[in-house]
Amino acid sequence: MNAALLEVRGLKVGFPTPDGLVRASDTVDLELYHREILGLIGETGSGKTVLGMAILRLLQPNTVIEGEIRYRGRDLLSLPEDEMRKVRGREIGVVLQNSGTSLNPVYTVGDQIAEAATLHQGLKGSEARHRAVELLDAVRIPDPAVMAREYPHRFSGGMRERALIAMALACSPSLLIADEPTKGLDAVTKREIIDLFAEVNRDRSVLFITHDIEAAATLATRVAVMYAGEIVEIGAAGEVLSDPAHPYTRGLLASLPERGMRPIPGSAPSLITPPPGCRFSPRCATKDCKSEHPGLVEVGPGHYARCMLYDRG
Amino acid sequence: MNGVYIIKRLFTSVAAFCISVTIMFILLRLMPGDYITMYLETIYRYAPPDVVEAFNHVYGLDRPILEQYVLYLLDAFRGNWGYSLIYKVPVLTVIGEKLVWTMVILVPATALATLAGIGIGAYSGWKRGSKTDIALLNGMIFIRAIPSYWLALMILIIFAYYLNLFPLGGYVDTGALITGIDPLDVANHAVLPILTLFLFSVTGTYYLMRSSMLMTAGEDYIVTARAKGLDELTILRKHALKNAMLPMVTMITLECAGMITGSIFVETIFSWPGLGMLTYKALAVRDLPLLQGILLVDTLLVIAANIAADLIYPLVDPRVQVGDNG
Repeated sequence: MNAALLEVRGLKVGFPTPDGLVRASDTVDLELYHREILGLIGETGSGKTVLGMAILRLLQPNTVIEGEIRYRGRDLLSLPEDEMRKVRGREIGVVLQNSGTSLNPVYTVGDQIAEAATLHQGLKGSEARHRAVELLDAVRIPDPAVMAREYPHRFSGGMRERALIAMALACSPSLLIADEPTKGLDAVTKREIIDLFAEVNRDRSVLFITHDIEAAATLATRVAVMYAGEIVEIGAAGEVLSDPAHPYTRGLLASLPERGMRPIPGSAPSLITPPPGCRFSPRCATKDCKSEHPGLVEVGPGHYARCMLYDRG
Repeated sequence: MNGVYIIKRLFTSVAAFCISVTIMFILLRLMPGDYITMYLETIYRYAPPDVVEAFNHVYGLDRPILEQYVLYLLDAFRGNWGYSLIYKVPVLTVIGEKLVWTMVILVPATALATLAGIGIGAYSGWKRGSKTDIALLNGMIFIRAIPSYWLALMILIIFAYYLNLFPLGGYVDTGALITGIDPLDVANHAVLPILTLFLFSVTGTYYLMRSSMLMTAGEDYIVTARAKGLDELTILRKHALKNAMLPMVTMITLECAGMITGSIFVETIFSWPGLGMLTYKALAVRDLPLLQGILLVDTLLVIAANIAADLIYPLVDPRVQVGDNG
């Protein structure tokens, strides 16, 4: 693998609140290579979505962001807003979570898909409409020409998800960020969406944000596990998910229904005043590390974990 | 939208009309004082009982209340709304004449207030928390907090009396008796009443539009639009405005009907010879037939506005399909 398509360095994202700064992402380092799918997993509130949104600078204006996000060598965080707009939708596409509310209810699905193509590729009227139908066909919407003229409320959950994917792919971006695209779908539809991502991946890299470990296992080349705003483990998907190094990853896998459904005791810590030392220590059964904050340590080739079991200082 | 729906809708409207008419009939008869007693007392300082009795007999006011009610209801539908006691002409003729003058100030005031309220409210809601938003919001709260009759008086005193920019009241100069009515002269007289009505109405539209826009600005599809690379102005104009306007459709149509009531004291203060001033006059002397007529017109306007809102809504919101189950 050569130079990374996307490189995140020391990314800190904080939301100012009356109670203090919520550190939703704390010193995150990440690479995404060409044509790979990186699965970003972790429980709700661990900072996965924030990381995805920070890459496209779609967070509220008062968010405090530090660090670097390099896309093809350019630092996205220092781009002027009008340059950033040319990256959004054209270079990097995004499928937001909540497909039910992410489509505008008063415009037809076809119009909304055609919009990005009109904006970035200068397609006019019938060309843009034609492109929208093509895209809907590509994401396996039946009767795409008819469905393009329908409003979002006529679409089922799975179809809305497909429409959002079609919208994100409108200008053939090199990177697709998908935020929990399998959320709330039945098993069959979920399977179809996963297959669709595998197909989409042929021409581009995908950052696949999910708390569905099964989906990540099926799709991802590599997996990154987030906990309380930090990456606690990252490595090849097969290795991380079959032989996890971090106690949190082990706990996450043990909580799956097919592996005994044993939840991790306790709950996620405050992101305003995280626990001292290892952030996972209050819930960790293996080791009690309140004094030292572990760094990411290589535990195998390309496999890193943030745990005192491995960090010998 | 289908025929069955429209017929159903008209049927419920007729029912609503009957109920309003009944309530109106009862309320007006609960009011103390009657026309003939008040009239005689102003002239002779006392009302001879036999004169009052004779008057009541002529107008059928001595008949049982239930009979009066049935007669009234039938006549209301037949279009026989009776004669005004003060003007001695059919109620509908008086109302028709005055309604035109009310529309002269009401239509421009409502149109301007709606446009301004929506425009400023949309901007304010989109730029929530900015200095402009806070300044606009406080300005609107200030206007809203002023008692409306006092505001009307202040406008009259400042612009007409001290600054002498506009006439003090009425709708034409006395010269009109000789030269006839000059539209420019009427417009000059209409400026202050329109301004006052505008200020009453604009704050409500502004508040509703601002909060509607606040909600819309936080919707997921706005983030979707941003993620496509659209600029803020396009997102506001195309994706936010249309959605934020949806709750306004109902509000605007009802506001149009409600403004008639709002015009009562504006017309009274500015001596504008419209429906509002007519209501005030009719109320002061207990001209029941005229009052009933005015209230019937108000009821019809509100019902018509409601039907209009129901018919317009499906045209702007594709999710609403009138007549379907669901």
